[in-house]
Parts: sequence; structure tokens; C-alpha cells
Amino acid sequence: GLLLAALLVSHMLLTKEGVTSMPICPNGSVNCQLSLEELFDRAVKLSHYIHFLSSEMFNEFDERYAQGRGFIAKAVNSCHTASLTTPEDKEQAQQIHHEDLLNLILGVLRSWNDPLIHLASEVQRIKEAPETILWKAVEIEEQNKRLLEGMEKIVGRVHSGEVENEIYTPWDGLPSLQLADEDSRLFAFYNLLHCLRRDSHKIDNYLKVLKCRLIHDNNC
Amino acid sequence: DLLQWPQISKCRSPEMETFSCFWTAGNFYNLTVPRILQLLYKKSNEEDWKECPDYITSGQNSCYFNASYTSVWTPYCVQLASKNEVYDKKCFSVDEIVLPDPPVHLNWTLLNTSQTGIHGDIQVRWDPPPTADVRKGWITLEYELQYKEVNETKWKELKPRLSTMVPLYSLKTARDYEIRIRSRQRTSEKFGEFSEILYVSFSQIGIGCDHCTEEVEFPWFLVVVFGVCGLAVTVISVMLSKQPRLKMLIFPPVPVPKIKGIDPDLLKKGKLDEVNSILACHDNYKTQLYIDDLWVEFIELDIEDPDEKNRASDTDRLLSEDHLKSHSSLGAKDDDSGRASCCEPDIPETDFSASDTCDATSDSDQFKKATEKEEDLLCLDRQDNDESLPSLANTDLQRQHRSTQSENSHLWAPFGGSIESPHPSVHSQISNQNSLASTDFYAQVSDITPAGRVVLSPGQKSKLGRAQREGCTEQNFTMDNTYFCEADVKKCIAVTSHEENEPRVQEQGYNEDGYFTTESLTTTVANLGASTAAPPSSEMPVADYTSIHIVQSPQGLVLNATALPVPDKEFNVSCGYVSTDQLNKIMP
Repeated sequence: GLLLAALLVSHMLLTKEGVTSMPICPNGSVNCQLSLEELFDRAVKLSHYIHFLSSEMFNEFDERYAQGRGFIAKAVNSCHTASLTTPEDKEQAQQIHHEDLLNLILGVLRSWNDPLIHLASEVQRIKEAPETILWKAVEIEEQNKRLLEGMEKIVGRVHSGEVENEIYTPWDGLPSLQLADEDSRLFAFYNLLHCLRRDSHKIDNYLKVLKCRLIHDNNC
Repeated sequence: DLLQWPQISKCRSPEMETFSCFWTAGNFYNLTVPRILQLLYKKSNEEDWKECPDYITSGQNSCYFNASYTSVWTPYCVQLASKNEVYDKKCFSVDEIVLPDPPVHLNWTLLNTSQTGIHGDIQVRWDPPPTADVRKGWITLEYELQYKEVNETKWKELKPRLSTMVPLYSLKTARDYEIRIRSRQRTSEKFGEFSEILYVSFSQIGIGCDHCTEEVEFPWFLVVVFGVCGLAVTVISVMLSKQPRLKMLIFPPVPVPKIKGIDPDLLKKGKLDEVNSILACHDNYKTQLYIDDLWVEFIELDIEDPDEKNRASDTDRLLSEDHLKSHSSLGAKDDDSGRASCCEPDIPETDFSASDTCDATSDSDQFKKATEKEEDLLCLDRQDNDESLPSLANTDLQRQHRSTQSENSHLWAPFGGSIESPHPSVHSQISNQNSLASTDFYAQVSDITPAGRVVLSPGQKSKLGRAQREGCTEQNFTMDNTYFCEADVKKCIAVTSHEENEPRVQEQGYNEDGYFTTESLTTTVANLGASTAAPPSSEMPVADYTSIHIVQSPQGLVLNATALPVPDKEFNVSCGYVSTDQLNKIMP
């Protein structure tokens, strides 16, 4: 019930095209179930929002701290989620089973839970960090939690059978965010934000693909 | 020609499934051996640089990576090189370089037209670019539509939207329009290329109206004309309206300069006594009584003005703390006394020395008449006390009139005040003017008691004046410091000297400022009989301050003063003014 209310509220906040009519489950009702379509709609909106915030945050950080430092030259970086084998092109995304894809999405979201918490706290220690970056870090962390909950709900609906082992990649980048050397520390942030932008884009894409496949039968 | 290095201009993926890189060759040619440029690429998780798989599909100086070579979220690096040299390098990931193709199949349909047929609404539809796989949700596009009239230059933009159709409202059916659309990936910032232009012409579907070519514009002219007329009508009606309130509301009366209690008409008609009375009662004028340049008038007026006899002596009033009705004059006198200290440098050069008669005229033009009148006054005073009153009143008024003209109207306020009931009081006061304690308008402050009371030296002018008639010797001069008008002293001494057959007093011996110490005067008087060798030019005792006189004496005196008998008494130069005569006396 709480999740549904949270999803409902966040969906209403995120709806940019105005008020969209959707069946509303009143708070506290037990038997109320959102349709899968609704769940997917909201999940897609959340993921789009998270990606949008990540993109903006990365651009702002790049503009403010990364100019002239040659970070882009070192762009061959690896994200901590690289160990998760996610589809890298449309073909692979088409071929993967939707349950696997959902699990992968969940895995990525879980793997980002920890880093996002630390990002929100560590970014405040950056010298003269703009308010917008600080705010976005906190917002992304919150929205990611909500998306995680929503995805778990969807997975619960969609999954037939047992839930597989949870996919998860631990993150060990906290020390790099706390380096004494400012250059190294800022590069660590740059990397992390770059990875966040990429992974949020991945998740957004996967969810849209799933939505079109499952809900609209490949005819979005 | 600028030397241009070969460089990678851009890398672009239209649908997030393939991508191409483009470069410019530059003009850095070794003409003998044409250079062969290669594009090498490397994925982030690979070690070796590989060569471009397809140089042809995307055109010249391009490299095309098909779907098998494209990994969307994998970082790539490409470099432009030839044999040994690397000219340019770029690193990116495919999801960052998505620039969709333009939308296709633009068309429009009429929604409806306005009743007049002048305006119409249309709906524009299009299809997403064919390369972009929107149906499977692999890529999400948003579109921006721009439109304009055919002969305009600036495009109007609509907000980017996800849907592939959009209505356009209120287009003019008489005009033709152009529409173009471009798309971008939803979370990107950059748009792809514009689509082909769609032409909208209402006449083609037969709803364009011929007579609609004239544009119905807002009738500004009519609005202005009617607005002005209405406003004029309103204004005129308000002005003519009998309702004073309404009139006052819209046309508030402009305040004219006005002094409370004074009727400007009164001033015009010249009823000066009334005006004077009003002015006298005006408290505001009290403060203006003692401006420096009016000092002289005060002084002159002061001499033997019978008007002053109208009032009790200053000292009397001060010491008894009586408040006369002309309180302003009392206050004036107080201030006066305070200011009438010795160091008064700018005493005007009225020349009392012109004659010892009452025709004496002063040098100063400004005070000429006043002086005359004063002399007149004195003469009148001497001649006939009673008769002097009307003339006094007249002269006073005239004096006041002059001073009014010279913005000294307030100066005469005391007199004006006294003139209010001139005749009886003059009589009574004149008759009472015999006490030793009565002073002139001025009295010197000799001391200030610890209690804060002012102790005045009683003036002797009136005495002196009276002495003129009664004989100066009869006067019982006090030995206090007192101010005497020069003319008074002059006359007194003239009388005295005449009586005692003593050296004549030349005219220029008079002190212009007219202040003498009683001491000096007394001494002089006393000495008049005793001294036979008193220089003719300096008979008058020197007061605490003397004025600068226009030198007439052969001695070229700066000050016109009388010599004090220095050995006999202390020469009190309180102000520091010393006449040459005095000096000569001091230093034999």
C-alpha cells in the first residue's frame, strides 16, 4: 500500500504532460492492484527522470570541475557494474528473456543503492559544490529507491516461479571519493557520475523495451 | 592558406544501432605522395587498434560501423592516422552521439475555420524517422515543429513533444505557410536535421477567400478618436459641473502663496497700518528682526525716536519681567542687547556729520531717507512732542513702508506694534520718560547674574535727547556704559558746548554708529568745559566700538572718535578699536 502510494505520488509529480487520468488506488486499500501497464508506466517515468537528473548532474559537474583537467582523455573508465553482463545493443536486448532483463535491471538498481547514498553525502564535501548538484544527488538517491521498490513489485507480478539469486555488484569506490588529493578526488567523482549517467540510460532503455514488448506487443 | 590538420569532424549514431565517423583531410598534403588516412578504433575493453570496417557506406572521408560493430554503452576511441602519425583522436560512447534522422511523411489536415473564414486550424502529422526503432522502444524521440508564413523570415517554434501530431491554431487562410520538423533523442540536447518543408495553402482546398486578403486590423484610429472625444466630454462636463466636490476631486485647487492672516489685497491697497499690525503680530517675524544688515536701521531708528518713549525702558521691562503686549519688541530688545556688543564691524557708513541739524543726511543711500526721517523725527521731537506723533506715525509708516520695500518690514514691527495704539501711549510714555532708568531701545548687557538674569545698563539716550531740550548739563549721566546715538551726543554736546562756550564739535567728529559709553560721553562732556585744546576733529568720546568713518578730517582717521583723556581714566578698548586720535592721545 505504501509502495503504491509512493509510486502514485511520484508518478503524479513526474507527469509533465499534465494530469493524466489513471485508476487511483486509495491509500490503505488492500485489494487494490495497479495494472502492470500502470506499474510499467510509472517505472518508465521514474527511470526517465533519474536518467534526466543524472545527465544534468554530469553536465554540471563536467562544466564546473572537469574543464581543463583532461578527464575526458581518461574516459576509458570502468564502472563497478561492468561485471554485470547487460545487453549492449538492440539485438541482445531483443533476445534476452524479459525475466532475465528484469533481474538485471534490479541488479543494477541494487548495485547503485550504496554508491548513491555515498555520493549524496560526499558531494557535499566538494569545495563550493553548487546547490543544484547537491540537490540532484539527493533526489537521485531517493528516486532510485522508489524505482527499486517499483521494480520489485513488477518482478513479483511478472515472475513465474522462483526468484533467482539476487544480482548485485558491490561498490568499493568510497575511498576514492575521499582522497586527499583534490584532482584524484574530482576524477573519482567524474567517473562515478559518468557511470551513473550511463547506467541510468541503460535502465531507462531496458524498461522501455520491456514495456513495449510486454504491454504494447512491440508496437509502441 | 591556413594549415589544416586532418581531423575528425564528428561521430554520429542516428538510431543507436550503428554509428559513423567523419573527418576532414585538411590541406596538409605531400603532393608527391598522397597520404592515406586511416581511422582506427578501439573499444575500452580491447587492447589493439583496429581499422575501420567500412569507408564507403557513409560517404567520403567517413567510416561506418554497422550493428555488429556497435556496442551502445561501451566506450570507444577512434583515431585518425596515417602510417606512423596520429592526427586526431576521439573517445565517446554510442549513447552519447545519437542524432536521429528527420521525421518523414509530413502532412496536414484542416480542423476547422472561423466563422468569418479568415482563420483556420490545422493538424499536422508525421512519421518518425524510419531508421529509428521507436516501435520496440529502443529509442524514444521527441519532436520540435517550426512554422512560418511563406514570406516571413523568422520561424515560430513549438515546444518539443513526444507525439507525432500537433494542431496549429488560428492560421490565416489567406496566407500560405511552411512547416518543418526535427527530432532528438529524448534525454539529449541536440536535434537532428530538419525534415523537408511542408507547404500549407488553404486556397488549395478551396477555403481561401478572396475578399479576406485585406487584413482586419484592430481599428486603432477609431479607438483613439473615440477615446479622445470621450475624455474631452468627461473633462468638460466635470469642469462645468456645479458640483464643487467633483470638481475639487478632479481639479484640485492650486494653492497660491498666502500668509496666514494677511490679505494680499490689503497690501495692494496700501493700508499699511493694518498690514503693519498684522505683521507685528506675526510671530514668524520675530526671528527676522535681527539680521545683521538690518542692524543699522535698528540703530538709526534708535536714536531719539519718540516711539521708544512709548515703551517702558528695556531695563525696566527686563528687570521687572513685565511682558508688554508688544512682546516681540521686548524679545527683540533682549536679543538686541546681547548682540549689541562692541565687536560689530559692519556698521554702515551713515554720515551723521553732515550737519548738526536735523537735515543731516547719510552717505548710505539705503539709509538716507531713514536718516532724514530720523533727523526729522528728532527735530520734530524737539520741537513739538505732540505734533511729532502724527508725523512720527507717518514717518514710521513711511519708514516701514520703505523697509517693507527693502524687505525689512518686519523690522518695524515693534514700532508697528507700538503704533497700533500710538497716540495715547505715546503721550503717556513720553510724559513718563523721565526716569533715569528708562533706556533706549538698546541697552547694553553689562552683566549676567548667576541666576541667569540679564542686567542691563540703563540707556541714557532718551535722557540725552531730553537733555537736548532740557540741557545736557542737567542730565544726570550715570557712569555706566551706555549707547548713545552720535547725533544725540552731538546735539547734546553742541548744546553743552554752546552753553559752555566750548570748542565746537565738528561734524565729522561724530560717531557714525552712534555708540558711546556713558563714561566717555560723560567724560567728554565734563571735559568739554575743561578742555580747551580738544582737537576739533575728535571731540566725541570713543565708545567701546566705533565705526569706520569716511575720512574727512585732515588727520586721516580710520575711526572717528573722540579722544579719551587717557591719563585720567583707563582707556578701555574692549573691542580693540582705537582711533588715531586716541592713539595720538595715548602716545604723545
